[in-house]
Amino acid sequence: MSYYDVDAILTDGEKVPCTFELDVPYLGHLDNSTTGLKPGTALSLPLWLAEMLALASTGDSKAPLILNMPPCLSEQVIAALRADPRSVTLREQNVHLYGVGVRMLDLFDERELGNTLRKTFVVRAGEVGLHARKADDGSLGGQGEEFLRGLEEWERSLFRRAHEGVKSAKEWTEKVKKS
Amino acid sequence: MALPLPPGLVPSEVAFLCEMEHVTIVPRQRLESIELLSGATPSLRPPRREDIPLWLALLLKKQRRANILPPPWLHVDSLRDLIHHETVTDPTGWSLPPPPPVRADGRGNARRLNSDATTVLSPPFLPSCTSSAPAGALPYHWFEFAEMLLAHASDDVPSASDVRSLLRDLQEVRAAKMRTSIAGLESGVDGVMSLLGVGAMELSESRGFVTGVVEGVRKLGASAEASRREEEEERGGADDDEPSDDDMGI
Repeated sequence: MSYYDVDAILTDGEKVPCTFELDVPYLGHLDNSTTGLKPGTALSLPLWLAEMLALASTGDSKAPLILNMPPCLSEQVIAALRADPRSVTLREQNVHLYGVGVRMLDLFDERELGNTLRKTFVVRAGEVGLHARKADDGSLGGQGEEFLRGLEEWERSLFRRAHEGVKSAKEWTEKVKKS
Repeated sequence: MALPLPPGLVPSEVAFLCEMEHVTIVPRQRLESIELLSGATPSLRPPRREDIPLWLALLLKKQRRANILPPPWLHVDSLRDLIHHETVTDPTGWSLPPPPPVRADGRGNARRLNSDATTVLSPPFLPSCTSSAPAGALPYHWFEFAEMLLAHASDDVPSASDVRSLLRDLQEVRAAKMRTSIAGLESGVDGVMSLLGVGAMELSESRGFVTGVVEGVRKLGASAEASRREEEEERGGADDDEPSDDDMGI
């Protein structure tokens, strides 16, 4: 992952639900209260902050907060993905679904989740490749558009790469015919 | 920043390399041998057939000084066989590249060139686009070779329009195969994907897609892979039975 990778930076900004374990004074504005954060407050924090706080531990005491699975990786979404990866509009769940998924897999030991995500990615990648090839002739009609709108960022860049290759080969074929 | 070109060869570079393939022509005019960096071309005496590089053949063809003999695999029957092989006989694998040519060894025996596989032969030592090439097998540069031949010398290709549509079919069949071949990655990047028999232009076309998918699968499996390694290391510490790279005695 490159330092300048915009997608990685944006993935860092995705919010994840957390629960505070400690009493934190003077941070009440995060939760719209005047008293400061009480233990047990549920908050949504950006991934970079939540990850740091969840892993930080000061010697004997426990970490300041507990991280929970974001809603885009909830049981329902994963069950739907397991049933049919193609039918879920991933973009509606989260624009950086796979990115967030990878970060969560780093933090939690969820082998099942990893397998499901990988299967989803591969199955949808096949479809993305098909659409990238047929995008220009429009032979797939309207149903393609629906699918392409539901693509998540990783899949979009994959589509772009696949389309780039098909397009340049097609351009060469056209050029040979003319010259 | 690195060069703004994508990794691998772009189609025009692939086509440039393809122009070094040898092709059989029937000259219409005499032409003395030309000294080239890649060796001298044979001197052309009509109507003797000679093998010359594709770029020279196309040049002579444009000047109407030669006719090109298309390779046997570019005939309608051979292409039909290939499509049958790709769709019915072996719907998952790729049809194999042409076998090495058979040469007589002077004692009445014929054997395949390079049968002991000491060196990997490639064109121009392997006649893959000349008239002596085997039918029913696609050489490495099949797509761009056929395209260039059909564009510049379509009157030399028998039933060119049929050949053209069969080539389209073949291209689509193989592109679909390339897409389905990534389904093997569902269980993670653990093996090798065999790309034996895939053409140069097909590689250049789908390189971005396939590497993109492999990269994505690798990223998604990175943490599982790391924990697996750790487990293995722990186990390896307990009993040191597994042979390491040092034990292989290279």
